[in-house]
Amino acid sequence: MQINPIEENHVSEAAGQGGHGAHLNLRGLGKQYGGRTVLDAINLKIAPGEFVAVVGRSGCGKSTLLRAIAGLEQPDAGQVRIGGGGRRPEVRMMFQDARLLPWKTVLQNVALGIKGGEARAREALASVGLADRAGDWPAVLSGGQRQRVALARALVHEPQLLLLDEPLGALDALTRIEMQQLIEALWTRRGFTAVLVTHDVQEAVVLADRILLIEEGRLALDLEVGLARPRARGSVEFGSLEQKVLERVLRTQAQFVDDKEIQVA
Amino acid sequence: MAHPATPRRSSPLSSPRRLLAALAPWALPILLVIVWQVAAHTGLLSSRILPEPWAVATAFWNLAVSGELWTHLKVSLWRALAGFVVGAGLGLLLGLLNGSSRRAATLLDTTLQMVRNIPALALIPLVILWFGIDEAAKLFLLSVGVFFPMYLNTFHGIRSVDPALIEMARSYGLSGWRLYRDVILPGALPSILVGVRFSLGLVWVLLIVAETISAQAGIGYMTMNAREFLQTDVVLVGVLLYALLGKAADLSARGLERHFLRWNPAYH
Repeated sequence: MQINPIEENHVSEAAGQGGHGAHLNLRGLGKQYGGRTVLDAINLKIAPGEFVAVVGRSGCGKSTLLRAIAGLEQPDAGQVRIGGGGRRPEVRMMFQDARLLPWKTVLQNVALGIKGGEARAREALASVGLADRAGDWPAVLSGGQRQRVALARALVHEPQLLLLDEPLGALDALTRIEMQQLIEALWTRRGFTAVLVTHDVQEAVVLADRILLIEEGRLALDLEVGLARPRARGSVEFGSLEQKVLERVLRTQAQFVDDKEIQVA
Repeated sequence: MAHPATPRRSSPLSSPRRLLAALAPWALPILLVIVWQVAAHTGLLSSRILPEPWAVATAFWNLAVSGELWTHLKVSLWRALAGFVVGAGLGLLLGLLNGSSRRAATLLDTTLQMVRNIPALALIPLVILWFGIDEAAKLFLLSVGVFFPMYLNTFHGIRSVDPALIEMARSYGLSGWRLYRDVILPGALPSILVGVRFSLGLVWVLLIVAETISAQAGIGYMTMNAREFLQTDVVLVGVLLYALLGKAADLSARGLERHFLRWNPAYH
């Protein structure tokens, strides 16, 4: 991203594989808000082309982590290194709300920030199945369609690192499954590195190579997902893995409750 | 847009009913005019107080044919336009400046807010002392009055642009003039157009006052002159003209909104 001063360092990083995915390296990343530690010395390495899901309870710092990677937040400590292909890597972010400019047509929204990129924007729009809505205003689209336009807008820049900040959180269950399949298909075809922040454990198990759990600003779990793609939600392995992650996420809650009870006693 | 509306079929029953619904708002004004005409015609209403509608229409026609009406109309229109361009233009510029720059807002906003609380009409004696009773005085009065609605709405519009959209646009590489043109200005536009509408409404009110102070031409002059000669019909022509011009200004402001805010479902 053009505005992140930290990325000056990235150029010297070794080239990624195939030039499609960037690798991501966080060293001792820390962030505080008004004395409260949101991120506490996070160390993390993500390989080029890897799909990583970050789960955690709300307020655990997972969104802040993503925003720090995107350069939208300045970390108080540590470094973010994004490398790939020897040149400045393209990093794009998809937000929870689509953040389309309501006064620009769907096509103009997708072409935002690229000069004379109309042909490319049409292509990207077609890849998310919305070629016929190019001339429409965002106001007439459904929530799912808006997120698909936002996805096209991110993809038209051919990102090497795509950051997804709970982009499917506000969608209904069926649209969400459709979007998950679309994201997986585009990721398989293009090979970018993806970091998905979600509160939906099932979504993490469906999409990710690796699931990270963040608790109170720290990495509490780093789990490889060995299931073959495309993943069948109904399978026994899928169910047991989902159960395992969910229990781990919820355990922190149980601990909190216990602590409080002890304090009260 | 993608789902073109199916053309409405007008059943034989609904067609007259819709005509009736369209005419309903006009029933009361028409009834009032009829009552007025009858009352004036039978002498119930003295023509010194209110001339009959027909006399007003005749006066309108005579003024139009003699060309007097157009001279006054032209002068008034020009004043309104000049006052609006100067006042609203400055309001827009300062609103953009203070909305975009915290430093400028700190320096200027408090002063402007203080000046805003002085009614423009309270300045009339001072304005006459400064500018005499010439065009400059009228222009000044109109500009000052029109300035504030434009300034306040522009300022507020710029400040209330969704920060999430600005963040998104920055992260997509937009900055400087392109960020301003593609995100901040369009985001502030609904509010700016509210300012335009307020200003256009206000400019006529101020114009009436300015033209009755002292003028050698203009609709205000025409009505004040008619008052001297007890020509109530001409006075009423003037009043009607102001109403029509105000309505026209409002319609053009709404036209601007419909054009510039066509992306917004609320303005379809």
